[in-house]
Amino acid sequence: MSDHHSVNIIMIEDDDGHARLIEKNIRRAGISNQIHHFSDGTSALQFLYEHPSGPAHNGPALILLDLNLPDMSGTDILTRFKAEESPLKRTPVIVLTTTDDKVEIQRCYELGCNVYITKPVNYESFAEAIRQLGLFLSVIQVPDLVRVDV
Amino acid sequence: MRRLIRGITQWDRRLSRLAIGAVALGFILIIAIEIIATSTILQNQAQMRWVNHTYQVERAISRYRGLSERLEAARRGLLLRDDRGFDNTFTRTSAQIGPALDDLQRLTADNPRQSANVAEAVRLSHQHVDTLTRSVAMVRNGQDGLAVRSFKIDESQPIIRRIRTIGERMMAEEDRLLAIRNAQQARSLAFFYGMLGFAGVLVVVLGIGTLWIIIRYTRDLTDSRDALRRLNSDLEGAVRERTTDLQRANDEIQRFAYIVSHDLRSPLVNVMGFTSELESAAKTLDAMMSRAEAQAPQVVDVEAQRALREDLPEALAFIRTSTEKMDRLINAILRLSREGRRSITPEKLDMDAVIQGIADVHRHRIAERDIDLSIASNLPDIVSDRLAIEQIFSNIVENAIKYMLPGRRGRIEIRGHIDGGRAIFEIADNGRGIDPRDHQRIFDLFRRSGMQDQAGEGIGLAHTRAIAYRLGGTISVESELARGATFRINLPVAFPGEQGALA
Repeated sequence: MSDHHSVNIIMIEDDDGHARLIEKNIRRAGISNQIHHFSDGTSALQFLYEHPSGPAHNGPALILLDLNLPDMSGTDILTRFKAEESPLKRTPVIVLTTTDDKVEIQRCYELGCNVYITKPVNYESFAEAIRQLGLFLSVIQVPDLVRVDV
Repeated sequence: MRRLIRGITQWDRRLSRLAIGAVALGFILIIAIEIIATSTILQNQAQMRWVNHTYQVERAISRYRGLSERLEAARRGLLLRDDRGFDNTFTRTSAQIGPALDDLQRLTADNPRQSANVAEAVRLSHQHVDTLTRSVAMVRNGQDGLAVRSFKIDESQPIIRRIRTIGERMMAEEDRLLAIRNAQQARSLAFFYGMLGFAGVLVVVLGIGTLWIIIRYTRDLTDSRDALRRLNSDLEGAVRERTTDLQRANDEIQRFAYIVSHDLRSPLVNVMGFTSELESAAKTLDAMMSRAEAQAPQVVDVEAQRALREDLPEALAFIRTSTEKMDRLINAILRLSREGRRSITPEKLDMDAVIQGIADVHRHRIAERDIDLSIASNLPDIVSDRLAIEQIFSNIVENAIKYMLPGRRGRIEIRGHIDGGRAIFEIADNGRGIDPRDHQRIFDLFRRSGMQDQAGEGIGLAHTRAIAYRLGGTISVESELARGATFRINLPVAFPGEQGALA
């Protein structure tokens, strides 16, 4: 199991509680990929673009993005990911946020987000949403994901 | 502004009184001058007649004198040369003298002095004519020598001399009168010209005065109109400013509501999430406790048992219901803020169809509760936002269905009419009613009235009122406890356009 072939999950989430709940539910959904958690946009971008084991230089990744970040707007980060010359253009991005405003959702899809999940306050629906996410992760045809799982 | 207008009116009245007074006075003066001028002209004409009269008299005097001289000359001619021509002249002239003197007498009848002179002339002329006629008769009878002799001694010389004197005296008298009359005429003419000049000056002064008043009046009028316009535009500006402020405040509230509801949701996700985590942890502990009870009852402590089986589930249940309620409240705020941001699209609404549609939506519940719903026909049609109108009516109808009085057959009546430019709809029910003290309160957010036996957050009516305001309408209620309630929705027949456009 070579490290650089596994799909890293990069979670950009400023609320530690949410991060913990997301991680717990991802694990419960049977996904054991490494999760890198960043609580602000700057350090997340630093890792994504600069770090030797970051997805810009090395290996496939999946990004979980919260739109409400302390230092920058999630949509700005999404715009950067999906820009024409970006090395992360093909990296799947899942927006996972509290905002359920239709205009905002529409905007994220237009910017190129792959999945938009609203964090429901109802925990059962939340857990269900994460399970759906797990399903999605197994569907997006990342060969290493299956190998890591096995 | 009212004081300004009053000031203008006062000044206006004073000015117009002054102007009318001045113009009237001017006209009266001009009329007076005209009367005086006319009388002066008449007087002048009379004087002219007198002057003419004098000339007539003078002419008559001259004629008389001429005739007398000619008579004398004709007699002398006849004496010197017996010529029939002189005889004819004499006869003709002597016949003319009488009428000439009559003329003179008639013309000078008004002047006693002249009358006396004329009487003297008449007497002298009689003597003169008699004397000459005798002399001429001698010539005619061929007594030429006698005639010449008698010429030398007769009275004719002194008579003609006296006739000349009296003629001159009469002329002098007429000249004197002429001088007097000419002077009178000149005086009245001078007076007339004086009046004319005065009238001219008066007209000029009156014209200038009137012009000044008009110019001043017009300028004041323009000034006050400008002032009014300025005031008006200031007012418009103030209203615009106020509207902008209100708009800004409203936008601020909308943004605030949106941000707050979003940011409140974040921690709530954690509370709910970790509560569930606690629950599953408690379940794990509960399973262990059950195992311990079965396998090693001696280690099971009653307090631990109660903490796990009673206290923990109770606390979790409270946390859960509270967070659920909080979630509903946050969602309500979010929905309100979202509704405020929605744009209004007015369209012509067939209200009969709209209300029927709402009744259809609630038909199931209406049937379930055995409610008698009656909708008046020909409800007034309006131009407004369909969704907003549906939300208002749906909400009120829903409340009517929800708050029926148990044990009484429910009845809901929907009716409407036009009053001026407003459409007024009434939704009346015979439900449990609302305490008059709560009539304002029920329209506030999260406030409810009466027994809290129905689900709800106290959002519906607040929401309904917010929409009604946005549509330029109002909503009010009339109700008494246990006597039912009548909600009155007052809407503009045509949506007047958004007063404070929202972000």
